Amino acid sequence: MRYRVSHRTVYSYDEPVTDSFGLAYLTPRELPWQEVASHEVTVDPEASDLAHELDYHGNLATYFQVTERHTTLLVDALSEVTVSTPIHSDAALGGAWERARPLLDPVLPGAWLAADFALASASAEQTAEAKEYAAESLTRGRPIGEAATELMTRIHRDFAYDKTATTVTSTIDDIFDKRAGVCQDFAHLTLACLRGHGLAARYVSGYLATEPPPGKERIVGADASHAWVEVWLPDHDGGGPGEWLALDPTNDQWAGDRYVTVAWGRDYGDVPPVKGVIFTEAKRSTLRVEVDVAPLD
Amino acid sequence: MTVLRDYAAATSQPTLADPDGPGRFDEVVGPDGSLRPAWKGLAELAVSLTPADMYRVDSDIARFLADDGVTYARPGDRQGPWRLDPVPLVIDAPTWTPLEKGLAQRAELFNALLVDLYGDQRLLAEGVVPPAVVLGHGGFTRAVARRSLGEEPIDPRPLVFSATDLARDAAGEWRVIGDRAQAPSGLGYAMENRRVISRVVPELYRQAGLHRMEPYFWALRSALIQSANGDLADPRVVVLSPGTHSETAYDQAFVASTLGFPLVQGSDLLVRDGWVYLRQGRGRMERVDVILRRVDAAWSDPLELRGESQLGVAGLVEAVRRGRVRVVNGLGSGVLENPGLAPYLPAACETLLGEPLLLQGLTTHWCGAPDGLRAVLDSLEQPSRPLHVRPIDGPSAELERLPTAKVIERILDEPHRYVGQERLPFSQVPTWRSGAARPRPVTLRTFTLRYGGSYRPLVGGLANVYDDGGFRSSASKDVWVLKADPADADQGLAEVMSMTAARAVAVTVPRVLEDLFWVGRYAERAEDMLRLLIVTHTISEDFRTRPGTVGGASLSVLLGVIGRLAGRQYDDLDAEFRSLLTDADRVGSVAHSIENLRTALTDVRDQLSADTWRAFGVVERAHEALAENPHSHQVADTAGRILTGVLSLQGVFASMMRDDGWHMIGAGRALERSLQLVHLLRSSTTVRRGIDVDRTVLNAVLESAESSVTHRRRYRGYVRPAGVLELLVIDPDNPRSLAFSLAEVRDHVAALPASTGSTRPERLVENLLAEVEDQSVAELVAIGGVNRPNLESFLDDTLDRLARLGESVEELHLRSGPPPRSFGALAIVDSLPAEPATGTIPVITEPLAGEGA
Repeated sequence: MRYRVSHRTVYSYDEPVTDSFGLAYLTPRELPWQEVASHEVTVDPEASDLAHELDYHGNLATYFQVTERHTTLLVDALSEVTVSTPIHSDAALGGAWERARPLLDPVLPGAWLAADFALASASAEQTAEAKEYAAESLTRGRPIGEAATELMTRIHRDFAYDKTATTVTSTIDDIFDKRAGVCQDFAHLTLACLRGHGLAARYVSGYLATEPPPGKERIVGADASHAWVEVWLPDHDGGGPGEWLALDPTNDQWAGDRYVTVAWGRDYGDVPPVKGVIFTEAKRSTLRVEVDVAPLD
Repeated sequence: MTVLRDYAAATSQPTLADPDGPGRFDEVVGPDGSLRPAWKGLAELAVSLTPADMYRVDSDIARFLADDGVTYARPGDRQGPWRLDPVPLVIDAPTWTPLEKGLAQRAELFNALLVDLYGDQRLLAEGVVPPAVVLGHGGFTRAVARRSLGEEPIDPRPLVFSATDLARDAAGEWRVIGDRAQAPSGLGYAMENRRVISRVVPELYRQAGLHRMEPYFWALRSALIQSANGDLADPRVVVLSPGTHSETAYDQAFVASTLGFPLVQGSDLLVRDGWVYLRQGRGRMERVDVILRRVDAAWSDPLELRGESQLGVAGLVEAVRRGRVRVVNGLGSGVLENPGLAPYLPAACETLLGEPLLLQGLTTHWCGAPDGLRAVLDSLEQPSRPLHVRPIDGPSAELERLPTAKVIERILDEPHRYVGQERLPFSQVPTWRSGAARPRPVTLRTFTLRYGGSYRPLVGGLANVYDDGGFRSSASKDVWVLKADPADADQGLAEVMSMTAARAVAVTVPRVLEDLFWVGRYAERAEDMLRLLIVTHTISEDFRTRPGTVGGASLSVLLGVIGRLAGRQYDDLDAEFRSLLTDADRVGSVAHSIENLRTALTDVRDQLSADTWRAFGVVERAHEALAENPHSHQVADTAGRILTGVLSLQGVFASMMRDDGWHMIGAGRALERSLQLVHLLRSSTTVRRGIDVDRTVLNAVLESAESSVTHRRRYRGYVRPAGVLELLVIDPDNPRSLAFSLAEVRDHVAALPASTGSTRPERLVENLLAEVEDQSVAELVAIGGVNRPNLESFLDDTLDRLARLGESVEELHLRSGPPPRSFGALAIVDSLPAEPATGTIPVITEPLAGEGA
């Protein structure tokens, strides 16, 4: 599938901002199953300094600084991508989950690269509750593809989608308390579940192309950024770095050709769409985000 | 008997006090009771020291340290005095030489480790170091790592200056007990210790033939200048400090001023177009090329590291990634402060340097490895707990308070985060404690610098002694490394250029000006309260027991003045006076002003003459005298001595350059003097209390406004409100009058760079001064009932206007702009956050390929 993705972020402040630094993860990654034909990030007022650089995880980060006085900051990202559905081998999906733990099996090929994603991180802390919840799916010797997929399905079933249940700073405990959350929470929860058992799993930030209900027009700007997870499948036979199975617990499905991958990291904190530091006396701000994923074929 | 002979006799006895003791190696006395070789050359002088000598030396040390203003704050505490033991740790050349090789190798290895971990990560890929030791450590800073193969690392020589802590085991072997790689502290303290010890035992010092430390500072200075990226003729180096409240603020300021580099804080720096600049007043900026940081990496950039940090510089990481500023040590170097690495260092050394590791560390078991975990769990089962369990980052104190079962649970949850280390019986040294030299465990902090192409350890160091059982250092020691040959070059650095070429530094960043403004204000505030207190105390000595008398009534007026400025805490007058002198938490007290004065001065320590700190030495000794003497007259004596100390600062200010900073002190001082005077008059002269009481009060007012003598000369002892007000409010020639002080404010403010002749502070002070000059004393003293309503409203109005004037000065001259905040930190009133696509809005119709595989 080919898409044009636009992602607009608008901050408005009640007092002028004199200096603004930003770091944005808005450019889709080049991947075997994802081709990026064009991408562009623009900032208004015009940034006095803007640079793209690959980060530690290989994501393209955009650094910018705006030194013009402003009360509205606009960050526009536009890209054109072609996505196909990733294919996974039966061998990779069929290996026992116990044999995909990079910290316990450091000699596995690629384990050293996956290790970063097997450690707990700030937004996906390890909790006994998450570990216990996941244990039900991770039964002895079960193929990792099947076990992880079932875990995803259970999370989708047991946790309600509710925008009001959590905030960006919610913890794994909060999510269990409320039994609800948004995509970011489900992703963090899945990470905590998988890592609690030694598996390597990473947070993926991106977009999901949506279809209008039957008979309705597609509404531009109604989309949103999305988050899901990928779990590591080691390459036992080939000796390569292994592959990553993408699971979307929010929609109970594997991420296919409707999923545009922007960036991955240990959790949301590594790859927020936009973060920044401003110098201002302002006390209040408003944030508006508009995302559109338009199919081009 | 002499101190060391007693010590030798006591230590060579079988240890009666502690028969199961760990069998410590003694640094001074061998097993046979004779002195160790390092001490033999000093024997004649050292052994003859008597307890009386030692008492003298010990109190000299305390005085020198106080006069130099040497402080240290334990985490969470206020700055307190730095402690230095009189007996140095002496190391002879044969003992030192292998240590020096080992330290140089360790620094080289650490540099190579950083290059690898922030570059190709060959050590992780090849399994030499388990990834979790590195990736699971809080110091691993992904923002400065570049993993793509073949790319140049962001910082090709990230380690410039590091520290290693050592201790000797029972066999006398030096062992590494810890490393400080990101922002090592202590070099300034080491140098200060040397200065003091060389002054208090000069004969011993001369006899010893040890390495002087100065050339090492010259080498450090040159190394920092050379670490600038590119080929700059005259790179700008700054020392980045987290501020006065840092534990080692003294050390930072000492290093900065010794090296001749400005001591700055995060808010003094800013990033533009990926370059780092130092703010220099009037919107001017000067580019910074090298930052010697004393701020931990996590707090160095609120954009990419800890978002809530106010200590860092937004954009610093990006500037580092672009190679436009060099941060020393590199932002990622904290990952080396990691006991989990210890078991893997020998192999890493073989891999990276191709040679065996020279310095032995503590035997360490990393719980991320199965046998390490087993060893640690075994140890926890045993009552003696042979291993010391600690996290690979962060303090171990919390863990020690937990019950064993909880500790085990934590370890099993995240084994890679913990290690168990062998417990070492540190060697012992004679340490002066209550009249005798007693054996105390000691550790040695060493420093290593990349100078030219190689790593050079400081020939010397900073030793710490520990009181029984404690892990907290109770005092420091100077470290004397003896020369093998008196002709050896100090520090082995014959070729280093001395620092005569150090560029003079004038820093006028807004923060520095603000600190100096408050220096002026607090110095004046302390002085005025002291004068008031002394006058009040004198009256109280005569009248405290006679409330109905003239003196008693006057006393209560004066206590009212003090109460207006500092509240009232104790009914008992002595307790009240003592609290005003010593309670730094009491706003308005002398101690509070002096504490704030000291904080403001410490903030700009690198700009000040060393004489500045003598004032605080005087204050401390005056406090001690007060604590030792319960009699009331001691209050007057102590207050008088503190006043002398505070006044000595005026001498220091008088010899400053007449630059913006000097004007700032002057403006602050004159403004504060105006305020204090008006407060004094407002609560003493607006109510009539009968001729006799008024006369006593007016005399006291004149006394505390230091105008008695002038008044007596002019009015021949005839004290009336009109004369007092004439002298204290309107007289343009009395340096204590309101008119005079306001004229001072006007002149100092006019000299500041942002003044144009018509700025708000200039207008405010001009108007106020004109009004004061226009006052008619006759109208001011006019009577309405028991009050003087005109005077009352004039003083109240003046107070308001002085407050506005103070604010306007800060607004125009001192504001460095709003503080940084993260995008999300403001209250978001109307947000449409990035939210997911879910089953409720989108309908996914297409079956997903791959499912069911």
